[in-house]
Amino acid sequence: MKHLSWVVAVIFAFTLFAVPVFAADTFDLVIPLPLTGKPAKFGEIMKRSYELAAEEINAKGGVKGKKIALSFEDSNGKPETARAIVEKLIDSKKQPVIVGEYTSSCAKAVAAVAEERKTPYLVVASADDDITQKNYKYVFRQNQVNAHYGDAVVSFLKEVVKPKTIAILHESTAFGTSGADAMAKDAASFGAKVVLREKFENGAIDFKPLLSKVKAAQPDVIYTVAYANEAQLIMKQAKELRIDAKLYGGGAAGFAIPEFIKGAQDAAEYVVSATLWTPQLNYPGAKAFADKYKTKYGDYPSYHGASAYAALFVTADALNRAKNWTQDGIRDALKATNLKTAYGPVKFEDKEGYQNQNFHETLAIQVQKGEFETVWPKSHASKPYIYPVPSWRDRK
Amino acid sequence: MTAIQTEVLLQTLISGVLLGGLYALIALGMTIIMGVMKIINLAHGELMMVGMYIAFVLFSWLHIDPYLSVFIAAPFLFLLGIGLQKYLINPVMKVDSILPENQVILTVGIGMVLANLATIIFQSDYRQTPVSYGTKAWYLRDYWKDSPVDISLSMPWTVSFTMALLITAGLWFFLTKTDMGKSIRATAQDLDAALLMGVNVERMRVVTFGLGSALVGAAGCLFIPIYYIYPDIGGQFTLISFVITILGGLGSTVGAIIGGLILGLFESLTATYVGMGWAPVGRFVIFVAALIFIPGGVASLLRSRKFGK
Repeated sequence: MKHLSWVVAVIFAFTLFAVPVFAADTFDLVIPLPLTGKPAKFGEIMKRSYELAAEEINAKGGVKGKKIALSFEDSNGKPETARAIVEKLIDSKKQPVIVGEYTSSCAKAVAAVAEERKTPYLVVASADDDITQKNYKYVFRQNQVNAHYGDAVVSFLKEVVKPKTIAILHESTAFGTSGADAMAKDAASFGAKVVLREKFENGAIDFKPLLSKVKAAQPDVIYTVAYANEAQLIMKQAKELRIDAKLYGGGAAGFAIPEFIKGAQDAAEYVVSATLWTPQLNYPGAKAFADKYKTKYGDYPSYHGASAYAALFVTADALNRAKNWTQDGIRDALKATNLKTAYGPVKFEDKEGYQNQNFHETLAIQVQKGEFETVWPKSHASKPYIYPVPSWRDRK
Repeated sequence: MTAIQTEVLLQTLISGVLLGGLYALIALGMTIIMGVMKIINLAHGELMMVGMYIAFVLFSWLHIDPYLSVFIAAPFLFLLGIGLQKYLINPVMKVDSILPENQVILTVGIGMVLANLATIIFQSDYRQTPVSYGTKAWYLRDYWKDSPVDISLSMPWTVSFTMALLITAGLWFFLTKTDMGKSIRATAQDLDAALLMGVNVERMRVVTFGLGSALVGAAGCLFIPIYYIYPDIGGQFTLISFVITILGGLGSTVGAIIGGLILGLFESLTATYVGMGWAPVGRFVIFVAALIFIPGGVASLLRSRKFGK
């Protein structure tokens, strides 16, 4: 019993200290993210970008005079964990707006909770089309939907490569499957026949059996949707098998981060990938953000980072415009967003069966001499594209 | 069968054998620990992760080739394994508890600690060792111009496979020809008899755990030129070696080698002829089928034919 009274006393003392902290002049924003587990790499890029954005916003006076106090909760990339975190944030911490998460499966889980509890949720980098197709009133998405991820690559294929056949490889996740679906549909629009469509598990080691099958099918274009490592393993092993497609295409994610070039080395050369953002874009603040990130962390951020960075500005902007900081007040303010960010213009629209969706331009990048260059659309190009690409045998 | 179909089949078989050889090496460590200690070491994959990170650190700081770091990582993991067994697992074995298998639970805990330590030290970044020969391969047509099929053999995969074979041969030599190896096998076969014959069972346990860790550490070094690492990579390899250990027959080294090859070939053939997305399903089908139809694993089949041990 003696112990118990001590415990009570200590807890009581803590509550006394804790209260003034809550009353301080800050707006507490807890962001659920994958910081461990498979998608941790992307979680980290986004965490750093949120922090950079918060620093800048706070330096300019914060939101309505309050500083944004950021903290993060690790969801491990698991939907059930993400769901539990967000339930806690809304129910006990009374956080009026949710920003964050990365994988589509997690974002879906969070979106369901947010809608049920009438709390606005800003999706930052989850691509599955479904998320903004469910007539949710409180779910907003800043990044482009998966169906449009490949837009720039598709128009590149249509206008430059003009393939007759295409093979689609994708990982067996929500993101991979919907990306592949979109490409299969687009392929019909430029008259290419899908000769092979295969899925693979995340974390697979040996792609050579799959790739020899691709080689036997001899497609003009090989299009792959994958997260980080599968992308580089596939390119490495494609080189080992000397599969000469007219073009290798990638659906963002694993093909659009610096690790892809580092890991696949020369096998990455000439691969064209979809992406949502590059540091070479001429949006206001894009270059400044990319440089700041690079000096601090040594690498250029991927589009995930840029979207996270901009998302905090969008949130701050909504908080500034909101009549009051209730869930509905913030929701209405988000709905009226029309902001130019480092990630591009952000505006939430209802069209094509999506609700509260920001439709923005996508890009095609190509690896040239070990660097990502924006090659399509021509208005954003930093370098002219290289096509046709040399066969593996002719590469030095 | 047309030339192109033959090519696909041959390429698939080559991939399967190469992958299977590496799988076998990973599973060998688990299986000898299983044989002597009668527990499944669920920190197995995490020990492999430690080996991979050693190779990664040596490569990126001292530019030591991952294949050479086998000779550094394996001894290090041997010591680590000995330490784990001596100071963590042995004491727990002596404690009475409600759960009969609490050493197994302890290994899960050790695995978690290792994975989280790696997250703290290396962050959760994906890392790789971009070796210069990373995408080198040999092609049949380069040597035989008019070959009807073009088969390619990846250099790092082949080197890893060959080294796995050498390590396995070394292990076989150790287990069958040396005193200590024989004592380990005696302990695995019958603990009480070994004890009565004067084998220091306690010491054999410690050495076995060290040996198992060293083997999987070596496997980690062989894997890194063809794969990548991040702190949570262990789980998938624990699973693979678990399946192989069951398939091969608990505790049987020959069984583990054959089990590894079966799994490797099975995965490759599934990837080519069914679909790569089915590989994890296939793995569990094998697992369940092995438990139902050959509960003693490949080892029991071998034994019933009076072939091998």
